[in-house]
Amino acid sequence: MGMPAQTTEDHGMQALVEELRERTARVWQGGSQAARTKHTDRGKMLARDRVDALLDPGSPFLELSPLAAYGMYDHAKDGQHDDFAVPSASVITGIGRVEGRECVIVANDATVKGGTYYPITVKKHLRAQEVARANKLPCIYLVDSGGAFLPMQDDVFPDKEHFGRIFFNQANLSAEGIPQIAAVMGSCTAGGAYVPAMSDETVIVKEQGTIFLGGPPLVKAATGEVVTAEELGGGDVHARTSGVVDHLAEDDAHALAILRSIVATLPAPAKAEVDEVEEPVADPRELYSVVPADTRTPYDVREVITRIVDASRFHEFKQLYAETLVCGFAKIWGHQVGIVANNGILFSESARKGAHFIELCNQRKTPIVFLQNITGFMVGKEYENNGIARDGAKLVTAVACSVVPKFTVVIGGSFGAGNYGMCGRAYDPRFLWMWPNARISVMGGEQAASVLATVRRDGIQSKGGEWSAEDEEAFKAPIRDQYEHQGSPYYSTARLWDDGIIDPLDTRRVLGMGLAAAANAPIPAPSYGIFRM
Amino acid sequence: MITRLLIANRGEIACRIIRTARAMGLHTIALHTDLDRSAPHVRAADESVAIGSYLDIDAVVAAAKSSAADAVHPGYGFLSERSAFARAVEDAGLTLVGPSSTVMDQMGRKDAAREIAVAAGVPVIPAYDVEGAPESFDYPVLVKAAAGGGGKGMRVVRSAGEYAEALAAARREAQASFGDDTMLVEKYVESGRHIEVQVIGDAHGTVLHLFERDCSTQRRHQKVLEEAPAPTITAEQREQVTAAAVALAAQVGYVNAGTVEFLLDNASAKTYFLEMNTRLQVEHPVTELVVSVDGAQLDLVELQLLVASGEPLPVTQDQVTLSGHAIEARVYAEDSFGGFLPQAGTATHVQWPTGVRVDEALESGQVVSTSYDPMLGKVIAFGRDREEARRRLVQALGETTILGLTTNTGFLRALAATEEFRDATIDTAWLDTVSHEEGPLARPSSEIPRALAAWAAAPRPDGDSPFRADGWRMSGENAPVRIDLDPVVVVRADRIDQTRAVELAHHTDGSVFDLTLALDGVAERGRGRVGRHRIEVVHQGQRFVFERPDVFASHGPTAGEGSLTAPMPGTVLAVDVTEGQTVEQGQRLGVLEAMKMELALKAPFDGTVTTVGAAVGDQVALGQILFVVEGADGA
Repeated sequence: MGMPAQTTEDHGMQALVEELRERTARVWQGGSQAARTKHTDRGKMLARDRVDALLDPGSPFLELSPLAAYGMYDHAKDGQHDDFAVPSASVITGIGRVEGRECVIVANDATVKGGTYYPITVKKHLRAQEVARANKLPCIYLVDSGGAFLPMQDDVFPDKEHFGRIFFNQANLSAEGIPQIAAVMGSCTAGGAYVPAMSDETVIVKEQGTIFLGGPPLVKAATGEVVTAEELGGGDVHARTSGVVDHLAEDDAHALAILRSIVATLPAPAKAEVDEVEEPVADPRELYSVVPADTRTPYDVREVITRIVDASRFHEFKQLYAETLVCGFAKIWGHQVGIVANNGILFSESARKGAHFIELCNQRKTPIVFLQNITGFMVGKEYENNGIARDGAKLVTAVACSVVPKFTVVIGGSFGAGNYGMCGRAYDPRFLWMWPNARISVMGGEQAASVLATVRRDGIQSKGGEWSAEDEEAFKAPIRDQYEHQGSPYYSTARLWDDGIIDPLDTRRVLGMGLAAAANAPIPAPSYGIFRM
Repeated sequence: MITRLLIANRGEIACRIIRTARAMGLHTIALHTDLDRSAPHVRAADESVAIGSYLDIDAVVAAAKSSAADAVHPGYGFLSERSAFARAVEDAGLTLVGPSSTVMDQMGRKDAAREIAVAAGVPVIPAYDVEGAPESFDYPVLVKAAAGGGGKGMRVVRSAGEYAEALAAARREAQASFGDDTMLVEKYVESGRHIEVQVIGDAHGTVLHLFERDCSTQRRHQKVLEEAPAPTITAEQREQVTAAAVALAAQVGYVNAGTVEFLLDNASAKTYFLEMNTRLQVEHPVTELVVSVDGAQLDLVELQLLVASGEPLPVTQDQVTLSGHAIEARVYAEDSFGGFLPQAGTATHVQWPTGVRVDEALESGQVVSTSYDPMLGKVIAFGRDREEARRRLVQALGETTILGLTTNTGFLRALAATEEFRDATIDTAWLDTVSHEEGPLARPSSEIPRALAAWAAAPRPDGDSPFRADGWRMSGENAPVRIDLDPVVVVRADRIDQTRAVELAHHTDGSVFDLTLALDGVAERGRGRVGRHRIEVVHQGQRFVFERPDVFASHGPTAGEGSLTAPMPGTVLAVDVTEGQTVEQGQRLGVLEAMKMELALKAPFDGTVTTVGAAVGDQVALGQILFVVEGADGA
């Protein structure tokens, strides 16, 4: 994509996209200049260069959460806050084509804290494996990591979804017939040693990659034995003596070529044919002008749909009923999809319409795209008494039990139970992306501040006290600030609540790549829990 | 009256003759060897007779008789100037489309031809007695074989001291090449232009000239570029040479087409008779393009056939006029920038230029062997003036695309584009003295072809898949395509490598791509083929081959320092050593012959011969290991 074209009516989206591109460009650099120079001086390729060279020439790369760890690990120096202390959480993950097939790639970036695993690094690695499992994509690990980030070992090592899960996944992915392939291109110490060891087929770079459970300092401390890293677990040792690896490479480029050759030997997946692709008739660049950057400004979500689907053709379902939820069929890059998109607040009938439509999609094995922009379900006596929770449960059940691939794009607000009914992260969409204008929290900052202020005032007044307007405002302001901060898509993406913030112009592209990736996995027959009637 | 014509030749000239003969309503009979079973000239003819060799006089005459031919056209080369052949044809009661055997005998020998020239009042180069006192000669002198041609058996001698040795060497060569070591010695013109006059005579005593050609662009006496009319001569000189040529032909009662060659001495502006070629010349098309009668071009083959039939020439000298300019370039299978080594292989794709005359017999899929002359065809450009013709020739050669084997097209293009050729300042020795290491005739840079190859090899960024190869990246600049052509070429949508701005102007895909890119604003066109292991690109006529490194390609045993491999396909003429023999550095191990060139293979250092890879008479392939020498110190 080149620079987006200037549109006549820009609602601020373009500035948000510019900010996104700037931040992305920053994390693309990886570690510090010094760390990168040190890395390349050793004859090693930078992590992103390795990914580029591994991929087929010209292959796109659907990167997962490139802004992971953004603003989370503040290694402040001189009191300066650094949002980019751990760019991309020191690991690059994503889907790209190798030898013509989609693969999940996990590449440690040794220029970022030695490629060590922060809590979010672990989460990102596990997320990549989850993507591989759901879409049945081979995994390629480019290993260059010092293992767990020791100062945070309590958040990295012991729990269920911590470091050990990586190897648990490797064993079980392999059991499911999902190839696990690794290249050791640097350190691979302690627990990390199991990444290559647990792989189906492993490459090591001569005089560069090392694999050992305990490094030379630890060996010396434990047994007094003095040994070099190369003698302990270098390429020659593992390729010729230990048998831990299967292929010995001369350098990074050679290792990547061997990986490609391994992928070429894998059996090809059976993929369904897709229909002829037609570009949208409506200009996608107009997404910048038709969508207000402020999520509170209403607009017709069909303006979005028409700009992301093939030929701008949309077969709408129940167009005249429950108009706050738009449902219908369309094609994206030739793939038939069902689209569920918010066009206002959710009412009982909207929830029922949505549940019906989702059942249709499952019956037809049609993937579903959720365009999420929801402040929540309607509240109030009339609605509660009419059982809006009962209808909401129907929608949530249908979403939760869906067996077709689901894709969620948060194009505006993602608040409260609306997040659930519209396939939030907890509902296992294959991919979840956010637009840069998106907001996500249990409720809006203003509502949260008001709710908490009401509780507080009740408490004060029950003790006969009084609460001035100034005091109330002083109480509410930090709550609003907290919601403002935590509702940001950057806060979300840093923590892997999503798979990345996307330029709205890329919506069609990432959906297409997600659909193509999902096409690698078969769709089982649908079954549901009890729908509350 | 000729009704059935046998063409005792192959390649482009056979095709050329058949074209005219068929247009005249003649039945055409081709000859073919096993190798040429399905060659273009065979398919062009009405019928074809198998033959063991195009040089076998008895077989050719027998073929003519068995196919009931009444005339034989010898073309050029092969038997065309062999009086024995002419005699055999005459004896068989057939008509040879050419002069009589008697005339061929006279003109074919340079000594006899010289005497005739003198008798006809044609100026000749001062000659000396071969056995005369070398000190009495006016040096430099040229020693040459009386029976020779094509540069064989020739030596330039610059001092009396060198004379004896040069004479002996030339004699050996003459003996080997022509079976006749009679030698001539004459004044050597240091700087001259090669001017030749086309003549044609009929059996009724008429001899016409069709003006002159200039063939000064020569490499080792082999013509490379030929043109008509001669660009540097005065009207007076033209009058002199044409009159002399007609006088010479008349002197011997010459019938049919012939060419009288002169050397124009740049120093004295004098023209000297060199020799007469008693056949149709390779370069006859330039004459056909510039000579006309009442606005209609002349067809030399047609005139040949008419006079051979006994008819009088249908035109008079006054009717023959000259207009415009034509230049011919000879396209050879040779690597001009790699020591002019002959090339062989399959011409996988052949695309001749349009808008110019092309006389050729090379088509896609044709195997080019070293068994025959390496000329693949001729590109002949016409223009209202010389500069227009030259520019068209440069353009046409640049459009010529031959894949599968290397040709001299790029070299010809570069040559035609030189200032020296443009300004017609060259002499016959120029091409042998000009640098092939630097300047316009140096091996062209592979930079632009490499960029074209990389672009062609890069996957197309369009396509109906979200995984299409456009290098898409999330919220950032698309990744470039890296094409490993050793080194890697980085291809982006708008530039190649770091600096070169690129814009696609034209691209036709298919098994052969035709690509035009604006590189830094300059349109560059390449045609070629992208293969898994290599990419071929022809740019400005020059073929480039880029190997794509494959880390998995298992390399066979590679030739080491002490290995001598065949630098071209050819025949082993001599093997001087046996395995186990001790040799000294520079010692000759054997001789390889290919394309009339003899190459001595010498020991690279002192050592022992460990392998002898071929025997005398073996046909060897390019790169075949012929000898391995192991160094005395075990190197």
